[in-house]
Amino acid sequence: MFRYYFDLGLRSLRRNPVLTALMVLTLAVGVAASMATFTVLYVMSGDPIPHKSDRLFVPRLDNAPLAGYAEGDEPSDQMTYIDASNLLASGQGVRRTAVYGVGSGIDSGRPDLPPFQVQGVAPTRDFFEMFEVPFLHGGPWSASDEAARNDVIVLGRELSEKLFGSTSPVGKRIRMEGAEWQIAGVIDTWKPLPRYYRLINGNGGSFTGADEFFIPFQTAVSHEMGNSGNNNCSGEGPKEPGYQGWLKSECDWIQFWFEGKTASDQARLKEFLAAYVTDQKKLGRYPRPINVRLENVMEWMQHLGVVSKDAKLSTWLAFGFLLVCLVNTVGLLLAKFSARAGEVGVRRALGATKREIFHQYLTEAAVVGVVGGLLGLLLSFGGLWLISLQSEEMATVARMDWAMLALTLSLSIVASILAGLLPTWRACQVTPALQLKTQ
Amino acid sequence: MELRPILSSLLRNKTGALLIAAQVALSLAIVANALYIIRDRLALTARPSGVAEENNVFRISVGPLKAPETAEGKIANQQRNADVLRALPGVSSVAWTNQAPLGRSGWNMGLNLDPKQTESSANSSLYFGPDSLVKTYGLKIIEGRDFTADDVQLIDPETTKGLGRYGMVSQALAKKLFPTGSAVGKTLYLGGASDPQPFQIVGVVERLQSPWAQSSEVGEFSVILASRWADTYSMYAVRTEPGQRDRVMKEAEAALLKAIPGQMVVNNKSLEEDRDDIYRDDRALAWMLITVTVLLLLVTASGIVGMATLWVNQRRKQIGVRRALGARRFDILRYFITENLVITSGGIVAGLLLAVALNQLLVSQLELTKLPIGYLAVGSLVLWLIGVLAVYGPAWRASSISPAIATRSA
Repeated sequence: MFRYYFDLGLRSLRRNPVLTALMVLTLAVGVAASMATFTVLYVMSGDPIPHKSDRLFVPRLDNAPLAGYAEGDEPSDQMTYIDASNLLASGQGVRRTAVYGVGSGIDSGRPDLPPFQVQGVAPTRDFFEMFEVPFLHGGPWSASDEAARNDVIVLGRELSEKLFGSTSPVGKRIRMEGAEWQIAGVIDTWKPLPRYYRLINGNGGSFTGADEFFIPFQTAVSHEMGNSGNNNCSGEGPKEPGYQGWLKSECDWIQFWFEGKTASDQARLKEFLAAYVTDQKKLGRYPRPINVRLENVMEWMQHLGVVSKDAKLSTWLAFGFLLVCLVNTVGLLLAKFSARAGEVGVRRALGATKREIFHQYLTEAAVVGVVGGLLGLLLSFGGLWLISLQSEEMATVARMDWAMLALTLSLSIVASILAGLLPTWRACQVTPALQLKTQ
Repeated sequence: MELRPILSSLLRNKTGALLIAAQVALSLAIVANALYIIRDRLALTARPSGVAEENNVFRISVGPLKAPETAEGKIANQQRNADVLRALPGVSSVAWTNQAPLGRSGWNMGLNLDPKQTESSANSSLYFGPDSLVKTYGLKIIEGRDFTADDVQLIDPETTKGLGRYGMVSQALAKKLFPTGSAVGKTLYLGGASDPQPFQIVGVVERLQSPWAQSSEVGEFSVILASRWADTYSMYAVRTEPGQRDRVMKEAEAALLKAIPGQMVVNNKSLEEDRDDIYRDDRALAWMLITVTVLLLLVTASGIVGMATLWVNQRRKQIGVRRALGARRFDILRYFITENLVITSGGIVAGLLLAVALNQLLVSQLELTKLPIGYLAVGSLVLWLIGVLAVYGPAWRASSISPAIATRSA
């Protein structure tokens, strides 16, 4: 019977074409607006490393001066060089890394390629395995290179191709910071979404941009390379001038990551950090009450507000708009169905039960939903295209996947069925005798 | 008036009227809030940066492949670059600086009125402007004076700790720190209580936004210090003759690459591009909301048209009878328009409450501000107007129903 009713529904689309077109269009526009904005929200709040996101942790320690302390203050998002070095040496967690942004100029020595500026990061070796960075050639630098603070470098794919074309440059050297750096590896295109490992100071924002090169953390420090990014000296600045004074200061500029064995390591690591701060207090640091946070990837993204408030606002208002479209569809269906009271009367008189009538008309409403959903899908792609025109960042997140595609269609059908409930119920109330009499 | 028959007929056939009223209510709630947010965002993007004739200004930053060893070497490079830029045709003014308004990266410092203070009186962005920043940006000095060559201090971060002795502040910052008196001649302290670094205010500029142009008052807080910071990377603000900017930008890049061996151009951006970039999201949101608002009003109007058409069709016979009994076409028209006004008014009353509720939700969840009453008034007016316009067509068709209909059987 369903197929028959579906067929009837399709035929009925051709009846009152204006009313039907209006209904389909209303539904399609409502679904498209809400799905386009929701897709953006969905991609923005996605888990970039699902199998591991609950055991990668960012520690935050409150090393600010006592003055101005208030209960519930958030610790800084980054940490000092002193703490980063101590935590790297602590051996806590399975892996650990400290990351800061570095910028430098590369002298290719080629006459056709004048010196140019590059942006990269200085992490420790664990970084590559922690974040599962894919390599195209070679691999991370060795532990001994790291310990000896040697000038070794891992290139991003784009930079490698710019300098050496498609051949593997592993083992070759490039000039940077007045030194020769040996290339240990080249990473493949790597674009986690959101770019969770570099939400602070990443060039390009939370969703776009890529690091052009990677050098060992301690090597970068021994070259006295500055931090290209946020440097927060709460309260007092460095007590001594120059780079060494900065390293000894309470300025926060390094981002730290721990990898735990399991998600349950979070509590244990947090206890360790509290004990660490207690130890540091003995050295005259950390004047505030112990205030330690340890967030996993999703908590960290939540803390930094990766999903913008504007994206949420747009989605909410778009769903409000869908609600209006729904109410509108109810009205239009009511108009359409009530014009056919006579037809219902005849069917009822010929023996159809209320249940049958209910099935038939709800199916007809669902047909409107299917057609509206297909059109809505097209419009959603249009909407996403419009959104992606805004900026490179939005172009990265305005992508529809299969789940969203299916959701769009189902949303439309569910919406149309919901909208069809009241008009269908009203159609079922038709008294056959009355209808037949007025004919 | 015929309100009584309208009301009694509405009460007899509630569903359709309720649906229209609900739609109007929801639309009003969304439209009022959307209009408010649109207005708010567009006002944000329209704030002046303080730079006169923005279209003639750009910034260019350079860095060396290898930094000069000494502070003198770095400063010599800065001056050489500025001279190279000044020599370009079409350039009217050049200033070495460290950051640009709306440039989205720069220095931010706490300011204290008292050297022993532990909590800052204000946070402000910090510009270095030892040579002609005021002239290049076309800033308006409303009190005090511009820097003279004697004010300028050379600072080597490797050896000195201070940031400078003389400064200017933006008017917003002056008012915040010295609400009653004049700021000129006063002393401010940079850095914390452990190491306060005083500087004296010599002038107040009318306006200079920070590199981040925050929406709060902080976006208007700026300090300009008469210091030359021996930095390896340096930025130059450039003002060109009208219409010459794009050409000068290209030539500046080429000239700076040649000026010092191994020098790289890190950034070359017009203030216009900076303005586009910093407000891109706000503009996008405003456009998205404008689109939703327009669609919403169209959908609501189409709902009213649909429902009114249905009612007219259902009542053809009654209309015929009324016409036969002496009602004029105008009376029929008036009946439907009044009926619609009653329904929309009901919807609007509910919508006002909904709008306030939605605003409350947005305030609590997304840190928006409270909706001013004016937007409710405008929203209501728009929906009333749309209601009348939408019903006019079906009502006009109803009024043209011939009285002869009454005499026919069906």
